[in-house]
Amino acid sequence: MNDLISILSDNWLLLLVGQYPSGPLGGLACTLMLSVLGITLAFPLSVLIALARISRYAFLRWPASALVYGARGIPLLLIILWVYFLVPMLIGRNISGFTTMVVTLVIYEAAFLAEIVRAGIEALPKGQMEAARALGHSYLGAMFYVILPQALYNMLPSMLSQFVSTIKETTLGYVINVHELTFAASQVNNQLLTKPFHVFFILAVIYFVVCWSLTQAAEWLERRIATKRLGTNTQRAKTSSSGLPVDSQPARPLT
Amino acid sequence: MISFSQVNKWYGDYHALVNITAEVKQGEVVVVCGPSGSGKSTLIRTVNRLEEIQSGELNFNGQQVHSPMSSQQLNKLRSQVGFVFQSFNLFPHMSVVENITFSPMRVAGLSKSQAHDKAMALLERVGLAHKAQAYPAQLSGGQQQRVAIARALAMEPPAMLFDEPTSALDPEMVGEVLAVMRSLAHDGMTMMCVTHEMGFAREVADRVWFMDDGSILEKAEPEAFFKNPQHPRAQRFLSDLRAH
Repeated sequence: MNDLISILSDNWLLLLVGQYPSGPLGGLACTLMLSVLGITLAFPLSVLIALARISRYAFLRWPASALVYGARGIPLLLIILWVYFLVPMLIGRNISGFTTMVVTLVIYEAAFLAEIVRAGIEALPKGQMEAARALGHSYLGAMFYVILPQALYNMLPSMLSQFVSTIKETTLGYVINVHELTFAASQVNNQLLTKPFHVFFILAVIYFVVCWSLTQAAEWLERRIATKRLGTNTQRAKTSSSGLPVDSQPARPLT
Repeated sequence: MISFSQVNKWYGDYHALVNITAEVKQGEVVVVCGPSGSGKSTLIRTVNRLEEIQSGELNFNGQQVHSPMSSQQLNKLRSQVGFVFQSFNLFPHMSVVENITFSPMRVAGLSKSQAHDKAMALLERVGLAHKAQAYPAQLSGGQQQRVAIARALAMEPPAMLFDEPTSALDPEMVGEVLAVMRSLAHDGMTMMCVTHEMGFAREVADRVWFMDDGSILEKAEPEAFFKNPQHPRAQRFLSDLRAH
């Protein structure tokens, strides 16, 4: 226990921000930045992929499905290595490990988020789209103003869970020298040499605390949304003593 | 206003609409009735092309609904057909007044204040002005359906279609929705209603169409239809209704 405390008190800054400000931003700050950047850039992309996946045009459906199946079927580490080695060959200059990691996460998370968004869209009653179309809205207009706002709201908890997965996936940045939290911990381990269990235990606890809090937040959100949904149709019209709804004034004739 | 001519529709092998030829005239209220699965809802949904047809012609207010047209043209046509669903289909993330102003603003191009004034006038008419800021989840079924009618009216459609507007309602709320529909009819609105409310049909309809197995078996004035139905299937349908 004393070992744990002394390791933490000696190295907390390194674990928190890496060598910043004398070096690149690293540690937990880098991990969170990677996850937030990854998921926020992936989000708009995922909506487009989801729309392509349910499109009636095959030329939109096919590439989107290929991307989704690819991301599902290929380990993230392989995609990271591909981006790391392939992209410099394609653009003719090196890119940093951080950029590689962000690009990879955006592609990978967009594919997974797209499936969440698609599920959210398909879970809505068909009548919502029909009602909007019957009022004269275009398909995209109805999608944008009627379907997506509801679908994305309902999908918030799943998206937060995906964010938690993303945080854990950033650890793979370690293999291409991204200075994130795991990298910082292994630096500490290399200095101490004799306390790997302690160092990696601290690392695990940090990840756990961050991810567990976010999972709790997701569950809280889920409960909140569920209660809100239950509100539908439960509140009946108040009835007056005569048994008639108090607000059922006779409808006025059209003028 | 709405005329069907030799309209046929199939779902795969199933012949859902069989040689429908009929007309709803300007200012007329037509009630479509018949047993479940007889094609009433399918028929009414072909009018704004929520359902496609395989042959025949359907003319709405001088326009061929099922002719080839761009999606913009179809959207414009749909915006002119007021449609009320069995399940209300209000947009739950919008307040009552937003539900009503949404389409006039985005489809018909009204300004916010114009759309708002119109929405409030319509809410007044369906007796729900005090619920303008409420959300659909806070309303009873009957109130939601009245808002849905106001939402359809906001596009100033030349005709209104009702697809079983009271079937999803608790019995005590049917009356308030029928009252709104009755007032529309009295004001001369052209209406086509699929409904099981035979009292409404008797009182408000100018004509009753009786459907079974995708065909219109009988078209008659309500008095004649209810007192003296001609087709044996219609006779059986009405006596089944009276049995309880």
